[in-house]
Amino acid sequence: MIKNRISRRRFLQGTLATGAAAASLSSISLIAGEVSQPAPTGVTYAQNWCEMCFWKCGLTAKVVDGKVHKLEGQKDCPSNRGKLCAKGNAGIAQLYDPDRLQKPLIRTGERGSGQFKEVSWDEAIKYVAEKCNGLKEKYGSGTFSLFAHGSGEHAFVDLLHIMGSPNICIPSYSQCTGSRDIGWALTYGKPVGGKEPVDSENAKCIMLLGRNIAEALHMGELIDFINGCANGAYVIYVDPRYNKTAAKANKYMMIKPGTDTALVLAMINYIIVKEIYNKEFVEKYTYGLEELSAHVRRYTTKWASEVTEIPEKDIIEAAVKLCEAAPNCYIHPGRRLTRYGSDTQFVRAIAILNALMGNWETPGGIFKPVPLKFDTPHMVHDLEKVDAERADGAGTEFPIASVDLGLANKMMQAIAEQKHPLKGMFVYGCNPFHNQGSTDVVAKAIEASEFIVTCEIYMTDTAWYSDVILPESTYLERYDPIISTARKSGYIQFREPAVKPLHDTLGAWEIAARLSKAMGYQNHFMDVREYNTELLESLGLSEKVMQKHGSLVGAEGDPFPLASGIEPEFHTPSGKIELFSNMLNDLGYDPLPSYQAPPMPKADEFRLLFGRVSFHTHARTQNNEWLLALHHSEVELWINSGRAKALGIKNGDKVCVTKGNKKSNPCIAKVVDHIHRDAVFLPHGFGSVSKGLTRISGVGARDSDFTSDETDPISGGAGFHNGFVRIVKA
Amino acid sequence: MKKKYAMAYIVDRCVDCKACMVACKAEWEVPEDKFRTHIDTGVSPDYTDTMRMHFLPHQCNHCDDAPCVTVCPTKASYKREDGIVSVNQKICVGCKYCIVSCPYDARFFNHELGVAEKCTFCLPRIAEGLAPACVTTCPGNVRVFGDINDPNSEISALLRDAATNHYKVWKLRQDLGTRPNIYYIQK
Ligand code: SF4
Ligand code: SF4
Ligand code: SF4
Repeated sequence: MIKNRISRRRFLQGTLATGAAAASLSSISLIAGEVSQPAPTGVTYAQNWCEMCFWKCGLTAKVVDGKVHKLEGQKDCPSNRGKLCAKGNAGIAQLYDPDRLQKPLIRTGERGSGQFKEVSWDEAIKYVAEKCNGLKEKYGSGTFSLFAHGSGEHAFVDLLHIMGSPNICIPSYSQCTGSRDIGWALTYGKPVGGKEPVDSENAKCIMLLGRNIAEALHMGELIDFINGCANGAYVIYVDPRYNKTAAKANKYMMIKPGTDTALVLAMINYIIVKEIYNKEFVEKYTYGLEELSAHVRRYTTKWASEVTEIPEKDIIEAAVKLCEAAPNCYIHPGRRLTRYGSDTQFVRAIAILNALMGNWETPGGIFKPVPLKFDTPHMVHDLEKVDAERADGAGTEFPIASVDLGLANKMMQAIAEQKHPLKGMFVYGCNPFHNQGSTDVVAKAIEASEFIVTCEIYMTDTAWYSDVILPESTYLERYDPIISTARKSGYIQFREPAVKPLHDTLGAWEIAARLSKAMGYQNHFMDVREYNTELLESLGLSEKVMQKHGSLVGAEGDPFPLASGIEPEFHTPSGKIELFSNMLNDLGYDPLPSYQAPPMPKADEFRLLFGRVSFHTHARTQNNEWLLALHHSEVELWINSGRAKALGIKNGDKVCVTKGNKKSNPCIAKVVDHIHRDAVFLPHGFGSVSKGLTRISGVGARDSDFTSDETDPISGGAGFHNGFVRIVKA
Repeated sequence: MKKKYAMAYIVDRCVDCKACMVACKAEWEVPEDKFRTHIDTGVSPDYTDTMRMHFLPHQCNHCDDAPCVTVCPTKASYKREDGIVSVNQKICVGCKYCIVSCPYDARFFNHELGVAEKCTFCLPRIAEGLAPACVTTCPGNVRVFGDINDPNSEISALLRDAATNHYKVWKLRQDLGTRPNIYYIQK
């Protein structure tokens, strides 16, 4: 097997060495040219889940003569019902991308010089183990930090526990959903969860505040939403920018960026004053209506209209539409709620507005996910979880922040400041230069770190500054532990390689196991297939069954128990939905959400907004040839036409984003009327400095150079949208 | 009765996600930055309270009276019995007449193969009983494909439903006499 792998690699190297012309050939012809090997022939199929974003759509890979030809969604997978998005379909272009990391690398030049030497796995593992053991001896086990995101993240989480460090961060908490989940949990006693349980298909009215479902694009959520629209839901979309989700809305409301909380609070007030809320539900299941109604009395619709720049009649109409549809309606809890540094209280307002609808565990409202419960084996035997104080303040300075997920933003600051000797950084599957609010802080943290190890499939900006790069096999080349998901049913999903690794790469679990062993730890790591077999056997299943189906629904249940008359339980201090939060009150925070105006841009500045487009994920897919072709490798900067005119900028002009002495690469001005005057919008994930991403290095603006890095006082989560910039012609 | 393949787009359901474009690119190894299907965006010119944005997919219309077939000097472009307009790559000489003659801009030149290329309604896939790649992957179920001569097909049912409910149904540039086989439906 190994021999085969190496000769494949040699072949690719040889082809690429013939120069730029060969490198620009499509990957398809490279592989097709592989004649020296007796290539496998015929058609086979392999089951997997997509890793192009984090929604985990079930897919079947069709392999023709040893090459992955096509990816098809698994029809029965509840995550995606047979569908794959553009990114999912382009997984093939990632697999065969010659830009992929192909061999372990050790840095030889200055950090950021891009000088690395290729080494064997043995050498790389030994090098990392020695360095880490040295750091541990010198600074103690808490010197290590981890930033990890993706299907292999648990391998590195477990490794850090073995190494004795508590400083483990899953950036999706502080950089994405932390404030949302905390705000929701304070109100309902449990977080929203990763696959938002909103029942779009049965909703009569849907209100979205910047939740751009059509472009943030998570397949199951999108399918439900389109079906909901087609079924006649009245959709209210609130955003400073008219985007593809707005295109599906019955009512679009352009809001002054930063003022969403004012809108929601005024709606709450109006609904209470007019007594059009779901009285029976509110009386029975909520706590603190009296305090709430007194508190929000000052937030009149007239006041909110001035603050948000939305006509008062539209605010009233939105409130009325929701109440008319109640309880078969929802106000979306949001996803990446890291906007202005006050996001937990914003989510509290949203959660309260939902509670007034009485839409809990009810069709068209919030459904109750149905989990498939079973005992999972332990991938790592005798693992003792580290329970020491963290360097990021999760659990201490931020008492209700998640200590399991950590605060990636505060951890990076802690590394930069070096109040603790945080010297060894591990990065798996994420890219702090793009996902942190301040690239200055990241650069400082990198400078302060003695040793940085990145496990990746691409030479990301962060990999570019690392000391050792461990190349991971892509999802189409590896097994992973079976996952289970809860939506309206509970199901498991299976991953097997469609092809053998094309390059000298390994899966995260094998990498972690080798590192642990080389560092001298005794913990036994299970083989992934062994783990899967054990898990499947406990469910009365086998690998063979999973190879046939890919995903299997194991638990059917009632996602709307309240509507079926089953009394709900709320794990809050009062046992009810807390409009008034006892926990916030006890901790000395505002128990009821108030409106705090965020800082506003000066007259010649813009508030920098950023987000996804439908065909890219985070900073992970931008180098993908097929996805780049969808937008001709152009990065658009959205700017309001009135503001553009004053600056002499015309549609299609090349423009740069500036702030202080920072200036971005050129972007293409997209001059439109339908973005608020105060804001510009950038698609996230471009402007990479790494030269290892040959198609997109230096293309477009890196938004993280210009964003803010606020901290939400309750959740500890980040706030990115208080970054103010100027726009100049390139 | 002979088959007659056609496609309908329920345009209200399209979100311009471009999954169809990439699925097709994968299935047919469409080269470079080319695609066989595209999505157009229509925006009413000024932002007002009632601004609307529409997404309109397009691809080869498999015209009944296809200019690309008429102008082809080698008969590489031809109309099949089942309605599909096809290109026989073996005899295509790459003269590009068809590309300029198509009023829908549905064809392009494949530089790797030196031939004219376009949507085939996923001919081998449908022969295997699968739907075209774009249809299979579309999260909006915008695209409905099938035999309009079969009254029991999904597309026939959809077109009947559209007629009964007076949905807006149109084809592109019917004034040209090309008799396209892609239906646009707006509810
Ligand atoms: S939504 Fe798209 S990128 Fe995300 S998992 Fe599904 S197919 Fe893959
Ligand atoms: S896949 Fe469907 S929804 Fe997406 S752009 Fe194509 S037609 Fe529209
Ligand atoms: S759309 Fe163009 S390429 Fe297709 S059949 Fe009609 S004329 Fe020919």
